[in-house]
Amino acid sequence: MDSLIEIEHLIKIFPPNVVALDDVSVDFRKGEIHAIVGENGAGKSTLMKVLYGMHSADSGELRYHGKTVRFAAPGDAIQAGIGMVHQEILLVNEYTVWENVVLGQEPAGFFGRIDHGAARRIVTEKIHEFGFNLDADARVSELSVAARQKVEILKLLYRDVSFLILDEPTAVLTPQEIPQLFDELRRLRDNGHTIAFISHHLDEVLELSDRITVLRKGRKIATIPTAETTKSALAELMVGREVVFKPIKDNVPAGDIVFDLNGVNLKASNGKDLLRDVSIQVRASEIVGIAGVEGNGQLELVSVLTGLQRPDSGSLKIHGQELMDSSILDRRRRMSFVSQDRSRMGGCLTASIMENMLMTHHRLRSTFTAGGGILIDDQKAAAFAEDACRRFDVTYATIQAPFRSLSGGNQQKVILGRELTLDTPFVLLDQPTRGLDVGSIEYVHHQIMELSRAHRAILIFSADLEELFRITDRILVLHRGKIVADLETERTNIGEVGSWMLEGAKSDA
Amino acid sequence: MTILIGLLNGMISAATPLLLSSLGGALTYYAGIFNIAMEGMMLSGAFFAVLGSYTFGSWQAGLICAILGALMIALIFILFSVVLKVDEFVTGVGLNMFSLGLTTYLLRQIFKVKGAFTDPAIVPVPNIPIPFLSGVPFLGRIVSGQNLIVWLAIAATIVCHYVVFKTRFGLRLRAAGYNRDCLDTSGVSADRIRVWSLIWCAVLCGVAGAYLSLGYVKLFSENMSAGRGWISLAAVILVSGNPVGIALVSLLFGLADGLGLFLQRSIPSQFTAMLPYLATIIALFIYSARRRKATGN
Repeated sequence: MDSLIEIEHLIKIFPPNVVALDDVSVDFRKGEIHAIVGENGAGKSTLMKVLYGMHSADSGELRYHGKTVRFAAPGDAIQAGIGMVHQEILLVNEYTVWENVVLGQEPAGFFGRIDHGAARRIVTEKIHEFGFNLDADARVSELSVAARQKVEILKLLYRDVSFLILDEPTAVLTPQEIPQLFDELRRLRDNGHTIAFISHHLDEVLELSDRITVLRKGRKIATIPTAETTKSALAELMVGREVVFKPIKDNVPAGDIVFDLNGVNLKASNGKDLLRDVSIQVRASEIVGIAGVEGNGQLELVSVLTGLQRPDSGSLKIHGQELMDSSILDRRRRMSFVSQDRSRMGGCLTASIMENMLMTHHRLRSTFTAGGGILIDDQKAAAFAEDACRRFDVTYATIQAPFRSLSGGNQQKVILGRELTLDTPFVLLDQPTRGLDVGSIEYVHHQIMELSRAHRAILIFSADLEELFRITDRILVLHRGKIVADLETERTNIGEVGSWMLEGAKSDA
Repeated sequence: MTILIGLLNGMISAATPLLLSSLGGALTYYAGIFNIAMEGMMLSGAFFAVLGSYTFGSWQAGLICAILGALMIALIFILFSVVLKVDEFVTGVGLNMFSLGLTTYLLRQIFKVKGAFTDPAIVPVPNIPIPFLSGVPFLGRIVSGQNLIVWLAIAATIVCHYVVFKTRFGLRLRAAGYNRDCLDTSGVSADRIRVWSLIWCAVLCGVAGAYLSLGYVKLFSENMSAGRGWISLAAVILVSGNPVGIALVSLLFGLADGLGLFLQRSIPSQFTAMLPYLATIIALFIYSARRRKATGN
């Protein structure tokens, strides 16, 4: 079969030192559905963005129709016939379907007047040609997410794109909408279009694709025909072979239940289930990990726990006290929280290190304020911040320097210092080591162990399975908004957790 | 009868500059720019209209200079808000003050007068008599003899409506306001569209300024736009930019203005001068109430 696109030895480095793609070579054949699978951060989206001209490669070659090409911008790629449907849908909600499709390449006549008749006819023809169930005159704001996705695809087809990239198209769909999308994609393939399909749901990939490329940590592991592989073989390729590493968890006996989350349900406005009957208990000294492929409800669960989002039902108790109706400040009296986003949720980049260290403390502890809570006692605050920085090993110039002057690892240490010095029975950690170097990760893990020794209950969300195996007592797996497995860390292995994560079920293999 | 004719003619002459600058504001409104610089563009246009007409002895030159004067303000706006990404509101406020200062300064420097400048050498924009209608009672006295710019304003309303809703530029213009990322990924630069909307806004505001100084009267006085740019901003927001709606709202404000002049016989002029501004506040209140009803809170 002819190769439509050949990618040779592609290398992409995000400064300063993140190797997103490490010598990746893939070919896409004309008229195939080619799935790209891999864990978060494996480089799937980066690979596609290089192909689409959104990122430039640092080295390597891209051949299209046998000719070496380099796309400087998405516009160039679209002209050449390569288009991408992004995860977030970009349409003008106020416009009709046909207006959105033709925007930018409108058929126009005298004095720039849009030829409505021709535009509607062309769009309607495309809708029929590809069997999309759409009304060209419908307003986009009234369409479902699935229909909007079709409009995005239609927009590319209108521009005569022959190579379509879909970045996790099923992530925004309800289970009922997925088969229809797949039928449409198959029809496109049978019409001679080539489709690159990013996903981490193995069932979908096996059902839809002709060939599968597996990426892991920026490297291509394999490209295999779908017919020649199985779910468990893919899972092993994706997650990697069992790595031997030492758990550092020491056996502090667990105490009473501290954190008790019960029956949390949350639906999106389009009716999609985001969280389904989630119940979690964490005992004193216990470290419980939440594993799961990103987008399976982690973000929503953290939002519900911290009080940013109200669930449709469910209760949240810490030491027996109901908190689901409490304000965020009330929750913070009992809950420390390290967010995954250091610069936006975790801290304020332009505020000083001292101010970042003091946040929340200044509301909960009257020792830092004077004048009945109106003024901040600068001297006490600075002394506290300096002490915390010493204890948490922060390298900084002056305590008044802006937070942004710190490296990522030191910023994280400031946030950990602030949160862990709050005297709370429960600690919530959301990706506490994301983006940190090995030394800082080590440090954070030891701090978490200290918490356990101090009889605090710890819940940690992590995309890094090795991390969870290193420090947790139990691992819960979140899949499509539901806790599908509750595993003792000592009695399970990465393969088992991986198959729960990917399939929501235990692998037969 | 004479009173009614006077009132209607007053309404038309007060509505014309509002209509023109509001149409300009509507174009930028659709492009998603919070443009409050219509006031400054109009004032600059009014000054340069007089300067051009006086210097070259022709109203055509006055009209062209008015447009160039307003374009100068627009180009500064483009530099700051589109290129340098400065806050649009701050840029607009700054430009309005700049325009007031600049025109006042130039008035004193060039014409060596304070307050207002008028001279027989200033050629006004002509009125257009319509021969076969001028004899008709009532209608003739309203339709015939209106200023050329009044007709330009009516034409501009129709053209704006056509451009915004029927043309390729209009579809992109509105897309720039609704979802600029979508427009950018569709291969059209939203910034380019914004620049064009500001340029056309300046052309319309320049003509509005020329009407103030060469159509309505034949002089330039300091701060002669007198808040009309702000009223037109209110008009644009009130009807969400719709050109036909703007025409109606402008006539309504014009009526308030004309009524004010008419009532000056019995009520102190300070109060009657408040009428257009009062109408603005009432209109915005109605708008807010209507929107609350629509969104259900």
